[in-house]
Amino acid sequence: MASQLSQSLPVLEVDETSAPLGTPVITFDHVTKVYPAQPNKPALNDVSLQIFAGEFLFLVGHSGSGKSTFIRLLTREIKPTEGKIYVADEDLTTMRNWRVPYLRRNIGCVFQDFKLLPNKTVFENVAFALEVIGKSRHVIKTQVPEVLRLVGLSEKLNSYPDQLSGGQQQRVSIARAIVNRPPLLICDEPTGNLDPQTSRGIMDLLERINRTGTTVLIATHDREMVDNMRRRVIALDRGHLTRDQDRGVYGFDV
Amino acid sequence: MSSFFYFLKESIQGFTRNLSTTLGSIVTIFLSLLIIGVFLVGGTVINHLVSSIENEVSITAYVADDADQAQIDELMGQIRGMEGVASVGFTTKDQALENFRASTSNPDIIDQLDGQNPLPASIDIELSDPQLVESVADQVLATSLYPQVTDNPDDPAEAVKYGQQSVERLFAVTNYVRYIGIALIALLIFIALVFINNTIRLAILARRKEIAIMRLVGASNGFIRGPFLMEGALHALIGSLLAVGVLQALRSAAIPRVQAALPFLSLEVDGGTYAVIYLSLVGAGLVIGLVGSAFAMRRYLKV
Repeated sequence: MASQLSQSLPVLEVDETSAPLGTPVITFDHVTKVYPAQPNKPALNDVSLQIFAGEFLFLVGHSGSGKSTFIRLLTREIKPTEGKIYVADEDLTTMRNWRVPYLRRNIGCVFQDFKLLPNKTVFENVAFALEVIGKSRHVIKTQVPEVLRLVGLSEKLNSYPDQLSGGQQQRVSIARAIVNRPPLLICDEPTGNLDPQTSRGIMDLLERINRTGTTVLIATHDREMVDNMRRRVIALDRGHLTRDQDRGVYGFDV
Repeated sequence: MSSFFYFLKESIQGFTRNLSTTLGSIVTIFLSLLIIGVFLVGGTVINHLVSSIENEVSITAYVADDADQAQIDELMGQIRGMEGVASVGFTTKDQALENFRASTSNPDIIDQLDGQNPLPASIDIELSDPQLVESVADQVLATSLYPQVTDNPDDPAEAVKYGQQSVERLFAVTNYVRYIGIALIALLIFIALVFINNTIRLAILARRKEIAIMRLVGASNGFIRGPFLMEGALHALIGSLLAVGVLQALRSAAIPRVQAALPFLSLEVDGGTYAVIYLSLVGAGLVIGLVGSAFAMRRYLKV
């Protein structure tokens, strides 16, 4: 399956064990975000970092540490109070509103609560993501079964979300996030609702997607998973970037 | 073009998906436009009636039996040039008697006159703008010629008749009727807009999850808006066509009966006027549907 995908996706030559070079996919340049409701407590405080193409990294931190703010800044749901954010050389702080949908087409998003449409089948849920960005029926008919095969749900094309287990539903939502082949995949607590064994399967899938060249960013609480995977870890604590290490561990006392 | 068909497909699917809200929206548009339509038709009929009553307003200026015919002709020429005057005619004493004979219910009175004719001759002024009746009458009195030919040299104003009191009252009433009609129609359009905005907001609320996902995967705002605008327009189209159909049925069923009950009023308005009313109802429905759904969409499309 992975080999099928790597034929259809551009494979970037990235050495996973050493710090990747080249132009960064994501750059945070002294980013501060202050919500009007809490003017004295910045959600993010002077955060600077770079993320390179093909990386697989974890974003860890307690509730309220700024993980969700980080992700919402990346998809331009909100704008930073200070500092600059670049995604693929484009400055999000000066981006025009009408360009935002085109930014989001290049970022796949996966959430803890799946966000599937209950009145659509698995196939329709995934196809919906292509339909609404104006892809042709031909593209939909070839890409949707292919991506569902990749996530291991070829048999469930015509099932409805409530007929699937939690892990299967999360696979559908991952399929929807990557069906348009975005270079960046962001997952917000992708395994938050799943048992450890199912979580392991989801992480394997995300790793497989990463091997095809997609940059994968995972915000998580799952200590065990982070410790097992030994990938780059970015830790946030009350809005500050406290740690950024390759092959790191979760590192917080729970 | 392919996205047009996508919008159409989605909006038609919306019908079956949210059947109750769809029906609610269509019925709201239908009822609002029907009431507006009834008022428009009623207003047109009343306006037509009022105009026909107004058009019967004319001025009669009586002239003396021994008046100089050359002076009368010159005066009539002057009156023709006045603003608001449609035509000027002259009724001789004999014609006045004939008219009286035709209109009275008791022709015997004329036979008892022994060949004498007590009725004066008169200049009859028809008005193109009945609202100007008073100013025309004043202008006639102000001419230098009329006091020389008038039937009542002591007070010429007494010899110019146009039903002063009743005309003023009639215009006050007809103007009120018009203002009230316009205000009612404006109010009804406002109510329809509020209702439709609300109904479509409910339909959007029922699908806000879909909208959230569409934004998430990068659908452009136009693409998100399309199906809802199309749905609003389709609801409005169906609702307004229903309203037009019912209005037409009412017209062919009710108007002849009312006319039969009130034969002295002219209720017939020509078909062209109805066509204009029907077209403006459908057009207003489309505008209300589109504006209503665009308005309801706004807050869900903030990036």
